[in-house]
Amino acid sequence: MSRSEYRSTVLQSLKTMLIAGKYGLERWSYVLQRISGVVVALYFIAHVLETGNFIGGITVWSVPDYSFAEKAYEETVKLLKNPLFDVGLAVVGFLVTFHTINGIRLILAHFGFFLGKPRRPEPFEPPVSFSTRQRALFWLSISLAVFALLYALDSLMRVFRT
Amino acid sequence: MRERNLMLLHYITGLGILLFGAIHVWTLFFTYPLQETIWETTLRFDSLPYAVLPVYRNILFAASLFGLLLCTTIHAMNGIRAVIAELIGARIRWVEAVLVAVGVFLVVYGTRTILIANNLLV
Repeated sequence: MSRSEYRSTVLQSLKTMLIAGKYGLERWSYVLQRISGVVVALYFIAHVLETGNFIGGITVWSVPDYSFAEKAYEETVKLLKNPLFDVGLAVVGFLVTFHTINGIRLILAHFGFFLGKPRRPEPFEPPVSFSTRQRALFWLSISLAVFALLYALDSLMRVFRT
Repeated sequence: MRERNLMLLHYITGLGILLFGAIHVWTLFFTYPLQETIWETTLRFDSLPYAVLPVYRNILFAASLFGLLLCTTIHAMNGIRAVIAELIGARIRWVEAVLVAVGVFLVVYGTRTILIANNLLV
């Protein structure tokens, strides 16, 4: 396969993965689970690097002076204390909460809980994997994620308090 | 490692993140006085009772942070690997090598941060 063919194949599969279209809520939960997972993984890498900066960055490998660390911390906080980062953190809170509850739903489904008794599938019936209780867990994940978003916005930027 | 064992590890580390991450989020977001923002209290450098350094000085909290670091690194790297494998339709050796290298770096660097912050004294 040539390079351009390879690239168009990857783009095509990316489109297939991310655009759930008419395939239903379970498929959309799959899409959101992938997107939230990748975004949170990138946030995690940034978070480890950023907390490393709190005590002076990558050059520091032994316990530094207290005042040096305090100064490095104040500088990093000055950089991070920015409404854009606050909103980003709240969005990460939304994604983490969704990913957590939806992940629990997926673990339960994978080990066969909440799926009902095994039976012969009928043609054209909706999939049994998204049962009522599974759907309830999905909507629970969405609502808790919205709550986390609002809570984070409030505790970082005092949105709902005066 | 086989796909099956990797996904089992994915679930186990996921539940580990649920435990340690709950502690982490609790120390950050649910322990500050309600009149203030998180920047004014929990994200101060060092003053009792709520700040960053006291959390790291407590050996149990530091250990839980290390557990969180370990679980999250494995979970994140394996998650990215799974997404790429689903996209391409095959597991690619060099991608997995890069992910392992990034994971080792994150664990080493994060452990350094935890140990230094744990031993930082006035």
